[in-house]
Amino acid sequence: MTTRTADVAIIGGGVIGTSIAYRLAQAGKKVVLAERYDFAAGATGSCDQMVSMQSKNPGIHLQLASDSADMFTTLGKELDYDIEYFRHGGMITIENETEMKVMTDFVKRQRENGVDVDIISRDEASKRQKGLAKHLLGCTFCAKDGEVNPYKLNLGFAKAARKAGAELLIDAEVTGFKTEGGKVKGIQTSQGDVDAEIVILAAGAWSPLLGTQLGIKLPIKPRRGQIVITEPVAPFVTGDVLSAQYIVAKYHPETLKDSTNRGIQLGVGLALTQSAKGDILIGATREFVDYDLKNTREGIREILKNATRIVPGLKGINIIRVMSGVRPYTPDGLPLVGFVNGIEGLFMAAGHEGDGIALSAITGKIVAGLICEGKAYRDVSAMDPNRFDLFGEKWSDN
Amino acid sequence: MNGPENETYVCRCEEVTREEILAAIADGATTITGIKKRTHAGMGLCQGRTCRRIISQMLSGVRPAAEIYPPTTRPPVRTAKISEFINEEDD
Repeated sequence: MTTRTADVAIIGGGVIGTSIAYRLAQAGKKVVLAERYDFAAGATGSCDQMVSMQSKNPGIHLQLASDSADMFTTLGKELDYDIEYFRHGGMITIENETEMKVMTDFVKRQRENGVDVDIISRDEASKRQKGLAKHLLGCTFCAKDGEVNPYKLNLGFAKAARKAGAELLIDAEVTGFKTEGGKVKGIQTSQGDVDAEIVILAAGAWSPLLGTQLGIKLPIKPRRGQIVITEPVAPFVTGDVLSAQYIVAKYHPETLKDSTNRGIQLGVGLALTQSAKGDILIGATREFVDYDLKNTREGIREILKNATRIVPGLKGINIIRVMSGVRPYTPDGLPLVGFVNGIEGLFMAAGHEGDGIALSAITGKIVAGLICEGKAYRDVSAMDPNRFDLFGEKWSDN
Repeated sequence: MNGPENETYVCRCEEVTREEILAAIADGATTITGIKKRTHAGMGLCQGRTCRRIISQMLSGVRPAAEIYPPTTRPPVRTAKISEFINEEDD
């Protein structure tokens, strides 16, 4: 088999890996990417389509999402590929006083970060979204929330990366690393070796399995999300609709630990959106079940019970499909992006959990900056992989 | 790739033509799922009941037929109203 030589070898052909491949090739690097199955085969191919600001923690997380959203407005044109990005705005539903308190604080902090979010009354919310439940106290609203077709985004990055000179291998499973005196020197794949001074691990939830081969313990864990898909219907969902419960499940899972409600135990929070061709996507669970990619009857039922409590108008619509995938969870909700101290040449770009689509554009830009210029366009030390003890056991495992 | 044969609809639900399937194969797709991600074939109302076999046959040109696995099967077997799911009880 041929041995390829590159400046950078990338492992993983999802939105993150292909976004990075594109930016590096554009910057003149010789890039070879190895993807085990195909583009959009992992979390990219089993997610909803949101490019949401509101679901991000105020701070660097939200700032990056906002910068990424700015890139999305011209990305389709730049990639010369219709990625179906629309900015229809998004809402988070608020059902009780506890959620109102959490969201009031969340919105205040988002506004301090310069992202325009408001709390609107149920009546105002009903003008945007039909079928809402009567018991809602109100909703947050952000005009900057948008949607993108994740498959097309992934394929668009791949096409543009190839056009810029990158070699993207699909059906190419990484079987090992080439190392020399504590340095990474390349990867071994089912389609031959790739010699490279820099290896980027962008394998999402599967990254820890590869990290083990290099003796590092990544704090990334697979977290399953189940999503229900309806038949195509006339426009029903306006933009993205999340529930405050989703924010709580995402950032404060510990507060739900003692709940006896099965939906809450499964981490269910509403994530509702409608694709350009009319299918409604209804999510989602957040479950730690290792790499089990199955859907469960219970998961589907709890998602739908939750969704119809908040948007009863969904009840009469037909389901045609369900899907399920694992997202790369990290203990602090931020991805690992940067060189790993202790293994020269190894660069991490994984752990985006449910934010991979939204952060894909900005991640490519950050990685290209760090590798080509030694710095990113802004301080990204919060994502430094070395914030975790990668060679020990000290990181918290919840 | 023009001509009446290539304008034939392979996936009627999502209106995907033979030409579009061939383009997806040229783009590197070697699996039914790969075709689905590139063209949306098999993602519509019938979930690939008809087109899956035709696409398998087309893929046999680039991959041995024995290696063309069916895509992941997921519920529901046929379309069902959301209200039916929320009222169901455990077995």
